[in-house]
Amino acid sequence: MSRTLPPEYYELLEELQAVDFVLVELTLYLDTHPNDYNAIQQFNHFAKQSKQLRKQYEELYGPLMQYGKSYSGYPWNWDDAPWPWQV
Amino acid sequence: MFTQVKYWNPYIGPFDPCPPMRVKSYQTPPNLYIGFQPPNMEQYSPRQALHCGTLWPAFYSPYPSDGREEE
Repeated sequence: MSRTLPPEYYELLEELQAVDFVLVELTLYLDTHPNDYNAIQQFNHFAKQSKQLRKQYEELYGPLMQYGKSYSGYPWNWDDAPWPWQV
Repeated sequence: MFTQVKYWNPYIGPFDPCPPMRVKSYQTPPNLYIGFQPPNMEQYSPRQALHCGTLWPAFYSPYPSDGREEE
């Protein structure tokens, strides 16, 4: 029985990917511009947004990360499909 | 402004065993020309940034490979 996922799953995952990419860019930028207050504000804004998106995702589709970085559903389901390369 | 890719014509020797490459190209992305990044530059939206591979349009490089193969 292969489980098919709703389009919201992909939408949410892409949104999370976009926000995380912005965080990567801002981190690299802030490494060389430690005093840029606007960039730090933007970084914190996106960090908060990323947390919210992760929480929203995990409530619907299960844990994103392991070893306590994500809550677990019942039963122990972190090894359910799809894996990142199966998305 | 600057071009993203530049071309040059290598020297072609008379005894070259293989067919000569008349035009060769090399990439010159924007980061070569901008130097230390100024603060508060214009930014893409998150989705667009993900698509383009950079958060700032000034650094966007499509890495073009087409252009003058033969001259």
